[in-house]
Amino acid sequence: MAIMMPAADQAVLSRRSEIVAALRAIVPGEGVIDSAAEMLAYESDGLTAYRQPPMVVVLPDTTEQVSQVLKYCHARGIKVVPRGSGTSLSGGALPLADGVLLGLGKFKRIREIDFDNRVVVTEPGVTNLAISQAVAHAGFYYAPDPSSQIACSIGGNVAENSGGVHCLKYGMTTNNVLGCEFVLMNGEVLRIGGKSAENAGYDIMGIITGSEGLLGVITEITVRILQKPETARALMVGFAEVEAAGECVARIIGAGIIPGGMEMMDKPAIHAAEAFVHAGYPLDVEALLIIELDGPSIEVDELIRRVETIAQGCGSTSCQISSSEAERNLFWAGRKAAFPAVGRISPDYLCMDGTIPRGALPKALARIRELSEKYQLGVANVFHAGDGNLHPLILYDANKPGEMARAEAFGADILRCCVELGGVLTGEHGVGIEKRDLMPEMFSEIDLNQQQRLKCAFDPQGLLNPGKVFPTLHRCAELGRVHVHGGKLAFSDIPRF
Amino acid sequence: MDIRKVRDAADVEQAVRAAIAAEQPLEIIGHGSRREIGHPMATNAVVDLSALNAVVSYEPNELIITVEAGAPLADVQSLIDARNQQFAFEPVDTSVLLGTKGSGTIGGMIGVGLAGSRRIKSGGVRDHLLGAHAVSGFGDSFKTGGKVVKNVTGYDLCKLLSGSWGTLAVMTEVTLKVMPKPEAERTLILRGLDDVAANRAMTAALGSPFDVSGAAHLPNSALRPTDAALAPLGAPEQAVTLLRLEGIAASAAHRAASLAKALAPYGAVETIEDAVSLSIWSALRDVTPFAANGALGAWPVWRIVCPPASGGALGQAVARETGGDVIYDWGGGLIWVAVPPKADAQRAQVRGRVEAAGGHATLIRASEEVRRAVDVFHPQPRGLADLSERVRQSFDPKNILNRGRLTRGTAS
Repeated sequence: MAIMMPAADQAVLSRRSEIVAALRAIVPGEGVIDSAAEMLAYESDGLTAYRQPPMVVVLPDTTEQVSQVLKYCHARGIKVVPRGSGTSLSGGALPLADGVLLGLGKFKRIREIDFDNRVVVTEPGVTNLAISQAVAHAGFYYAPDPSSQIACSIGGNVAENSGGVHCLKYGMTTNNVLGCEFVLMNGEVLRIGGKSAENAGYDIMGIITGSEGLLGVITEITVRILQKPETARALMVGFAEVEAAGECVARIIGAGIIPGGMEMMDKPAIHAAEAFVHAGYPLDVEALLIIELDGPSIEVDELIRRVETIAQGCGSTSCQISSSEAERNLFWAGRKAAFPAVGRISPDYLCMDGTIPRGALPKALARIRELSEKYQLGVANVFHAGDGNLHPLILYDANKPGEMARAEAFGADILRCCVELGGVLTGEHGVGIEKRDLMPEMFSEIDLNQQQRLKCAFDPQGLLNPGKVFPTLHRCAELGRVHVHGGKLAFSDIPRF
Repeated sequence: MDIRKVRDAADVEQAVRAAIAAEQPLEIIGHGSRREIGHPMATNAVVDLSALNAVVSYEPNELIITVEAGAPLADVQSLIDARNQQFAFEPVDTSVLLGTKGSGTIGGMIGVGLAGSRRIKSGGVRDHLLGAHAVSGFGDSFKTGGKVVKNVTGYDLCKLLSGSWGTLAVMTEVTLKVMPKPEAERTLILRGLDDVAANRAMTAALGSPFDVSGAAHLPNSALRPTDAALAPLGAPEQAVTLLRLEGIAASAAHRAASLAKALAPYGAVETIEDAVSLSIWSALRDVTPFAANGALGAWPVWRIVCPPASGGALGQAVARETGGDVIYDWGGGLIWVAVPPKADAQRAQVRGRVEAAGGHATLIRASEEVRRAVDVFHPQPRGLADLSERVRQSFDPKNILNRGRLTRGTAS
């Protein structure tokens, strides 16, 4: 394992049977799993290259049980890793050898659907898609749509601030959640917000969203729901040059059009997807854009015309416009199956997730090609073009000695390149363990210390999901110290108050 | 008063470090246009960011703009307006309510976090702040977020900075998302509905697929013949309920017609368009019915945020109990209340009702005396208040920045 996790606490491990018994007293029946065979199911999340069985798995089904489990662990200095459906691609739910894995899978109930206030109050283990399904009969849906939406839990979505194809127009998770109930590491249960558009005080909901399970355990969430657009149509546009496709994206946005989704695939991704789903993708192009417009028919028709004109102006070599739902879904089928499609042409692949300014796309793709040469590994690119979120898929074979390490080094270089181009390490998959050690590429020690101080406000002992997000762990007391520069001020001639 | 005009982030760092050494709290201002909101602060040491006012970069095709925190909001708005873009959250110009001059700075806009009518569709200030450089109460400059619209790298400290009233860190440079301006707008007007019926009509509209981007209600008591800004609405004898549809012209017109049909049970619908509609929503955003220079200029003003579908009943009850006037935005989820002056701005009457409805209330306008006596910001339950205080300390343990502005009795 290339990424080091915090050393296991032998004192905790030596008390394992006592801990298991105590957890059984809190969560009776099948809610505590301690057999090696059964715990195998929890040893990794979507980042399967990293595996680690936990000390014990606990699956509470009430907030009170979550609170008791955390209180018990807090009092005894036992680490806890929260987990939703385990679909994280960055290792956010990777267990710790000396940690309790706290699964929220039993929190499966939608508690309230309130159409008048346009919200759903749900438990965190409910899947993303199930929320949309529960309100579909009234024409509503929950907008963020990560590709894993049939499996991923809404609690995990909040922890990771999940995005999806439609977040260009409708926002990420953070723009679509209003409130939650969550439990601090010491067992304290807090409620934030509710059905109002804004909460009083500091935006604690905003900071919990995307905190990757390091600040608290969410036990209830209130999400906004929207009315489904009347219709949606898609264009599938081919380009002989990646640069032309990039220019097309910029011009569409520049013309004031925010499509429901705007995706790009490069040649290797197009070929892999076409071989897999036969969506009718053109095979002679270097880049393919799928652009979806949604809204009333009258608006969609007009915008389709405008986008088509822009695409032609950028030298598109092919342009198909969906004329039915079936055709629109077919356009998407290849893009949505891009990951498994690439899985068919390579024994293993690593999915990266950097974001760059849209305008830097041609530069980024050129750099990725160079790196592909350097590392002698293939790469296929799919790209949320509308918001600059790149997903290079690095192809490798874990059975060949050294290839995985090479793939990881390749991936790290891609992310460094994203930061150099003015972008960021992760657009939607999270830092987790995967990008943890790259955080200094983007943040200084001062930046990271400020983030870790915030962690201290929630979990001063650092027991909740340690080893994720931050490359170095500091003690809270040390982080909280104010260095008084008094008496020896760097610029003593500056007037002071 | 000791005013230190800073020119860069290093100046701010020095000012904060000096303040730590001298155990001297600092008031942080841009143009000072919102100083009269919040508890009076016990400091005469001011850090003035108005000279930190450059536009660092504006990239319309990337939908982002990076500016220094002291940049004037009005200037930045004209700059993006020239490229047919806007801040989609419609920042409130508080000068109308407060009787101050100018709409202040970008830093002030983020610090107060007050969004206008489009919040129901496009989100608030917090949803558009993508990245920031700021100086914490440790005297250290840090950055958070980035210059791209999609980013989950590290904690999203931008959310905390938005609406923190300058208590966590001094922002020096910020990156905001900008959005294309709609090509056309239509506003439907329903007349004569009482607050509860209007709330139902707005709920129906917001639950429709017609993508409503503004839903407001003005009871007739809030409509005064002298209010020029709202004159285009016509006769002030009757309450008006307003529903805005924006987009390309054909779409806005189509949706306006469809929504008018759907709202038929609530009465006849009139339509206003484009420039007229724009001026009405701009007046509503800035709460002109309660303007400082208007008939109710001497009355304290509360801003209530509540679950939208309960707004009508809540506003009616608050108006009845306080003898005040109310106007509704966000489909009922935002209620502005002007109350006849009393020493406590009728805190108990307002907050009692609001809490029962699951909302919260901020005292946006009141005399300094009242703001010393009443919690300006809605008190939080114990556990959450404690957590918020720990969060504040994680940025500013010596309580240097805007000490006492948010919490009564903590100024010294």
